[in-house]
Amino acid sequence: MSGHGKGIVVRDAWCVFEHVSGRKVEALREVTLEIPVGQFVCIVGRSGHGKSTFLRALGGLNPLTRGEVFVDGVPVAGPSAERGMVFQDETVFPWMRVRANVEFGLRAQGMSAAERARIALDWLRRVELSEFVEAWPRELSGGMRRRVALATVFAGGAPILLMDEPFGALDYVTRLSLHRLLLDLWRNTGRTIVFVTHDIEEALILADRILIIMAGRVVDDLPVALPRPRDEEVRARPEAVGMIKTIMHHLGLDALAAEGFERAPELAARR
Amino acid sequence: MAALIGRFGRYLRERWISLATLVLLLLAWEIAGHLSPTSMLRSSPIVPPWEFVFGPALLGMSDYWTFDVLAPVPSLGGAQTWLGATLAIAYHSAITLLRLLLGFAAGALGGILLGLAFSLSGVLRRLAATPLHILRMFPLLAMVPLFRFWFGANTTAAVAFVAYGVGVVYFAATINAVSNVPPRYIEYARTLGASRLRVYASVIMPAIVPELCSSVLLTLGLAWSAVIGAEYIGLESGMGRIIIYAQYFSNTGRMTLATLFVILYASVSFMLFKRLAARILIWMPETAFGGGRALASRDSP
Repeated sequence: MSGHGKGIVVRDAWCVFEHVSGRKVEALREVTLEIPVGQFVCIVGRSGHGKSTFLRALGGLNPLTRGEVFVDGVPVAGPSAERGMVFQDETVFPWMRVRANVEFGLRAQGMSAAERARIALDWLRRVELSEFVEAWPRELSGGMRRRVALATVFAGGAPILLMDEPFGALDYVTRLSLHRLLLDLWRNTGRTIVFVTHDIEEALILADRILIIMAGRVVDDLPVALPRPRDEEVRARPEAVGMIKTIMHHLGLDALAAEGFERAPELAARR
Repeated sequence: MAALIGRFGRYLRERWISLATLVLLLLAWEIAGHLSPTSMLRSSPIVPPWEFVFGPALLGMSDYWTFDVLAPVPSLGGAQTWLGATLAIAYHSAITLLRLLLGFAAGALGGILLGLAFSLSGVLRRLAATPLHILRMFPLLAMVPLFRFWFGANTTAAVAFVAYGVGVVYFAATINAVSNVPPRYIEYARTLGASRLRVYASVIMPAIVPELCSSVLLTLGLAWSAVIGAEYIGLESGMGRIIIYAQYFSNTGRMTLATLFVILYASVSFMLFKRLAARILIWMPETAFGGGRALASRDSP
């Protein structure tokens, strides 16, 4: 079996963890899909249902129990500079100044100092942090540190960027400004982005395509044909609202489920 | 001048309680010195009052000046002089400090390198766990005679002893600190294309520095105890030796004086390192060493 063509190809991916109690947890089950080059894919799902496991499998950070992930036809065997990651938790190195952080990936690639500096400064300008090039991360706000993380992965040159709820911990206004920034960067670079979120609105603003993962399976694959920018008006269109309903239904949050508490185990348990 | 008085005034207002305790302690010692019975030897009150410590005892330190230059040598029949006392204290302090620094540097470097090496793999780490645990239980000062037996009564023994005492702490601290580095930093570095070696050099090493700085503060006190302990036995020079000589003659004043000097040196080394650590750890959000504050906290849209 081999992966054909460009982009990401996932074939029958399974990921089984052994819980401390000895219970086996199937975090991913027979996931098969393709993500073409340049697509912005959002992954939505309830927490603990395999979103992050899937993303980490794409990044080569979680070995699969079965199946394979191919990038441009080559099987993924471990983490690499070809697939940049932005994590949910803070990962900007606090012991390096902002510029050194952005240069980290370039340095690992063996680039000359002058070239590194040029690229880093360019990306810091693009995330509007030119004034903070020589600052320590502790001197920045949480949102600014997220910009540093974005500049770092984009500067690293990875054609595929994997983001695990990168804006989850930010306030609403900061999150919206970062959405705009990320979309700008994406449009200007044509990178493939796989973005995990628990926020349906965020997915609608960002995605070309929304994958819904429940209990380790991809239960739905929705193309998002809405025009950009996806402002409030676009998100209020009937087709957008229909999409929100579909996602809510999959997440077990629709009216029918709410009545019977069938798909919402936590709520049912609380009763 | 006015500014200086102002600063001193502020210092007094902020620290008056600790200063008051210090004055009370010194006073209590003085009173005890005058209340305690005089011993049979005129030269050694049981609790030496301060005027004795900084009088005859301090002058008596010139007994430990043994080079027949600059000042008379009392052991060759020369007179006790203040210059001789100063020279003796400086000489023996310098010797002790040299032993301490050599031992400290060797121990810290060795302990950290060994800790890093053993952190390379889980198997090695588990291998080191039990011996390390036993090693840490060893009563340090009880091992002085053993070191003397191994290395002889010389500076090498003292340096090796300090290095051992300090090194064990750094070994354990390094292994612990490495395993405490958040895995996400390592994963992040790997996804940016960093090799294992680069992860070690650019992520793990800087990430463990704060914990190692705490170990330095911990081991500074330990190192001073260790070097004095090593000098108690067999060495012909150093502050520890002065204390033991003074004990032979029940010279409480000199014992007190030498102890005071060690306290002074330990405090100064503590303070100097805290300053150094504040510079090294400038990147830390808040540190025990007085880190920085946020300069900016705004998000441009």
